[in-house]
Amino acid sequence: MTVKLMQGNDAVGWGALAAGCRFYAGYPITPSTEVAEMLSRELPKVGGKFIQMEDEIASLAACIGASVGGLKSMTATSGPGFSLMQEHIGYAAMTEVPCVVVNVQRLGPSTGQPTSASQGDVMQARWGTHGDHPIIALCPTSVSQSFDLTVKAFNFSEKYRTPVILLLDEVIGHMREKFDMPDFDAIERVDRIATDVPPEWYKPYGDSLSDVPPMANFGDGYRYHITGLFHDPHGYPTQRLDEIDPWIKRVHRKIERNLHDIVLYEEDWDPTNKTVVVSYGASARSARHAVKLARQHRLKVGEITLLTIWPFAEEVIARMARTARRIIVPEMNLGQLALEVERVAGRSKVVRVNRANGEMVTPQEILDAIEGS
Amino acid sequence: MAQHEEHTAYEYLRPSKKFPNVWCSGCGIGVVMSALIRAIDNIGLEKDNVALVSGIGCTGRMPVYMDFNTMHTTHGRALAFATGLKIARPELKVITIMGDGDALAIGGNHFIHSARRNIGITAIVVNNNIYGMTGGQYSPTTPIGGRATTAPYGNIEPPMPICELAQAAGASYVARSTVYHAAELERYIEQAIRKDGFGLVEAVSYCHTGYGRLNKLGTAVDMMRALKETSMAQAAAQKLAPEERENKIVRGVLHDVERVEYTARYQQLIDQVQQSIGGR
Amino acid sequence: MTDEQVTVEKTATPAAAPQAKKGPRGQVTIFANWCKGCGICVAFCPTGVFALDDTDHPVVVHPEKCTACHWCDTHCPDFAIVVKKIAP
Repeated sequence: MTVKLMQGNDAVGWGALAAGCRFYAGYPITPSTEVAEMLSRELPKVGGKFIQMEDEIASLAACIGASVGGLKSMTATSGPGFSLMQEHIGYAAMTEVPCVVVNVQRLGPSTGQPTSASQGDVMQARWGTHGDHPIIALCPTSVSQSFDLTVKAFNFSEKYRTPVILLLDEVIGHMREKFDMPDFDAIERVDRIATDVPPEWYKPYGDSLSDVPPMANFGDGYRYHITGLFHDPHGYPTQRLDEIDPWIKRVHRKIERNLHDIVLYEEDWDPTNKTVVVSYGASARSARHAVKLARQHRLKVGEITLLTIWPFAEEVIARMARTARRIIVPEMNLGQLALEVERVAGRSKVVRVNRANGEMVTPQEILDAIEGS
Repeated sequence: MAQHEEHTAYEYLRPSKKFPNVWCSGCGIGVVMSALIRAIDNIGLEKDNVALVSGIGCTGRMPVYMDFNTMHTTHGRALAFATGLKIARPELKVITIMGDGDALAIGGNHFIHSARRNIGITAIVVNNNIYGMTGGQYSPTTPIGGRATTAPYGNIEPPMPICELAQAAGASYVARSTVYHAAELERYIEQAIRKDGFGLVEAVSYCHTGYGRLNKLGTAVDMMRALKETSMAQAAAQKLAPEERENKIVRGVLHDVERVEYTARYQQLIDQVQQSIGGR
Repeated sequence: MTDEQVTVEKTATPAAAPQAKKGPRGQVTIFANWCKGCGICVAFCPTGVFALDDTDHPVVVHPEKCTACHWCDTHCPDFAIVVKKIAP
């Protein structure tokens, strides 16, 4: 246990090392650059490899290439870079190659306000790349949670062979907090399922008991094919519906059948709460403060903090909506995850508290919404 | 001269893949693939230690046919994927297969930076002066005046000098041949693979389906013959006056120097760092 | 095998008499199900071993002329030709 005053971006770097990340490829962009700087220093110490590529497209491509070579890989960026990476997020989803993409959100759109916070990329994290693809996106609310969710991101990406997006925002990324960093050997690490059949029997995308096929690494004697085209169990391109449909079903099922494992949240509510605040990321810090103030005013208010943004936490929100009459959703955007809450809980119940100018939603604004009931 | 008992290639083709290949009848890409297989066979590389990475386009469909570690990535990005793979597994011989548009248009940024880093990748660019897969649009190497589906009035853009660009950016080996000169192409690919650093081999080919039809250049046989007649060895070309050399395809090893290879240099860095902290 | 070859178009008439003395040095096999009939082998074989049949696909018409120079099997885009060296 080493207590440190640590920055959120640094905690992401340490979380990556704790999870077994041994490859980072990235490109400088405010407010995520500290992740790269930290890993360029720390990776060589553990025999890991760092490279600054010529752009964000190349950065994620290099991560996928290194992951295929057997190294747990990560990149970190912000809005503009995240937009450039979308095609390869789709490629990683299609080829089911594990990798972690950190997006330290800044005020957009476009160049926007690089040093200001935002949660404006939530829908991009879900639908940024084209086509129907599954995705996992996690969102920490503190420095220690940035460490924990980075480890989770790697474990999920390996366990489900999928890209995982880690959504920070500039507040979480740049603020410093006391952090009790655990010893790395106490950290649970998940590795991709290895194959146990001889090479001539190996099918990279087929015949697996679970929906997640075992993955061999290039150079380990399992010579196979990877392509972004729809592919058959051998990995060869196909246009046959009887091979495309099963792929689509399997790749979405591997996530949807494991929501109990993937959807993480913290809840502090009960059926008597008529008002519940649902929030994530930096906004959750304001929300918790507002709820504390409201309870001091003897208001019975509940609170749910979503740590997994995608897939959306339908079960808990629907369960809560059975008893809650007003659901307050504070976000540093003009209403993105609120759309999902409205879809599940009904539009009439949801009260949005939005701010998209780079400043945090304040506790007072949330308290006003709570008391407005 | 290639020594053949049986056809060398069959040992390297994937038996579970449907043949013949997808390329148009007479396309030069098959000749490049054949030369690549013989080069690998000549060196005697272990199949497990060879990785082929391709982008999108007609050339993108080459790796799947061969029994190596093969990856068909996104348009223009083969070198970026290959960079990550090479750094993760430096012991692998990583070879990228790209088209002229794939490598020099959308992939131009990764092309020059891979050369600049002199990373241990052999880049084979099959240059047929057109975007073939999408039906014949002009590419960065389409000759001035050449017609294409997106240059109906004739291309006005000067072509990209692939080899000079790779050399200027820092590649340690640069060679050009054509699909007519299959034995020479095989030799250059072999030499590029044997080099540690970034090796570029430009394999000039043709697209009779796209460019040939639009510019009335005849069949695959005609365009293959044209490669013989319009190309010349570097030594001969140097005797010509510049304007005569203008529209000639100059074949030869254009650049061959020793430079530190990127992954070897980075391993040194790791070793130094680990020594300085007492080696964790 | 040098690549500066004299191009031999389709040989109109079969050769007068096979040079029995030297005899063939290569045995040519065409895999018809891979061959797409591009005509490259026919057009560039230095000794005119091939000719196009009525469906424009190559046929070995002068096996005795093959010198095992491997021009055809190193230029076949579809791996559809195998030349096996046989001692004279």
